[in-house]
Amino acid sequence: MTFEEMPDEWQEWLELTPIERFRQSEQIFAQYLAIGGSLDPDPDPTSPFYDPDQWRPGAAYGRAGLRVLRRGAS
Amino acid sequence: MGGQACVFYGAAQVSKDVDLVLLAQDENFSRLLAALDQLQAKRIAVPRFDPALLARGHAVHFRCAAPGVEELRIDIMTCLRDLPPFLALWERRTVITGDRGEEFHLLSIPDLVKAKKTQRTKDWPIIELLVAIHYRENGANPCPDWVEFWLAQARTPELLAELIQRFPNEARAQTSRRPLLRLAFSGESEALRAALDAEVRAEQAKDRAYWAPLIAEFEAFRRAERADS
Repeated sequence: MTFEEMPDEWQEWLELTPIERFRQSEQIFAQYLAIGGSLDPDPDPTSPFYDPDQWRPGAAYGRAGLRVLRRGAS
Repeated sequence: MGGQACVFYGAAQVSKDVDLVLLAQDENFSRLLAALDQLQAKRIAVPRFDPALLARGHAVHFRCAAPGVEELRIDIMTCLRDLPPFLALWERRTVITGDRGEEFHLLSIPDLVKAKKTQRTKDWPIIELLVAIHYRENGANPCPDWVEFWLAQARTPELLAELIQRFPNEARAQTSRRPLLRLAFSGESEALRAALDAEVRAEQAKDRAYWAPLIAEFEAFRRAERADS
């Protein structure tokens, strides 16, 4: 992939400075937590650190605070 | 060194944890443990924190409980597969200075690419992006080291085609180390894609072989901790 082949959204992301990206990432992360996102690692059986006994079902299947905020028109 | 570095470089938009690689020195470990204490970080998996285990390639995993960082995971390592010792990584690190005066010390992109060559499927698209980003940022002023890095690590036929067009002599010189460059010259894009996939599988196999004895140790540590509890 070259830069020109990247989606517009990704090109805009790369136009930011590194510190701007970090600050934006902090905001995205805060929103993620606000809607109930989990900080558990995503279950990844290809990872050497994957331990099925430690994985806690969480955000991927909905936590109490996770709900649809907006739906697109159908 | 991991996902957060990818955010700074532009290859990711968010990371759920913090991965740190640090110099294995007693004084450094003391500072680390004091910082983890401030963050109310508890170890959440085997192995236990032990410099000897870190030196063998293990990672130690913590989860924080202090206000503001509740549940945040921090992973600590002191050595990484196929990468040189910490001081060499530190020498060529990238330093980003924040708008509040803070400093972020990141693995250089070439080192981060090597660190990401793992058995995990999700790391490979990140490598593709890191190389493309590095080329975009430095392509206008290519130095020999960068050209070698791009030719060695580019992961798409499109970028490889551009590189061999711009740097044909360097590419020919590198074909013995990366035979698939010959396929880029001949324009055999399907064969090139297959060769790129084969590279991934070979590297994943190397990573699995590296981790196999460490995973066997994990299992022993888990059994021992379960027996203790």
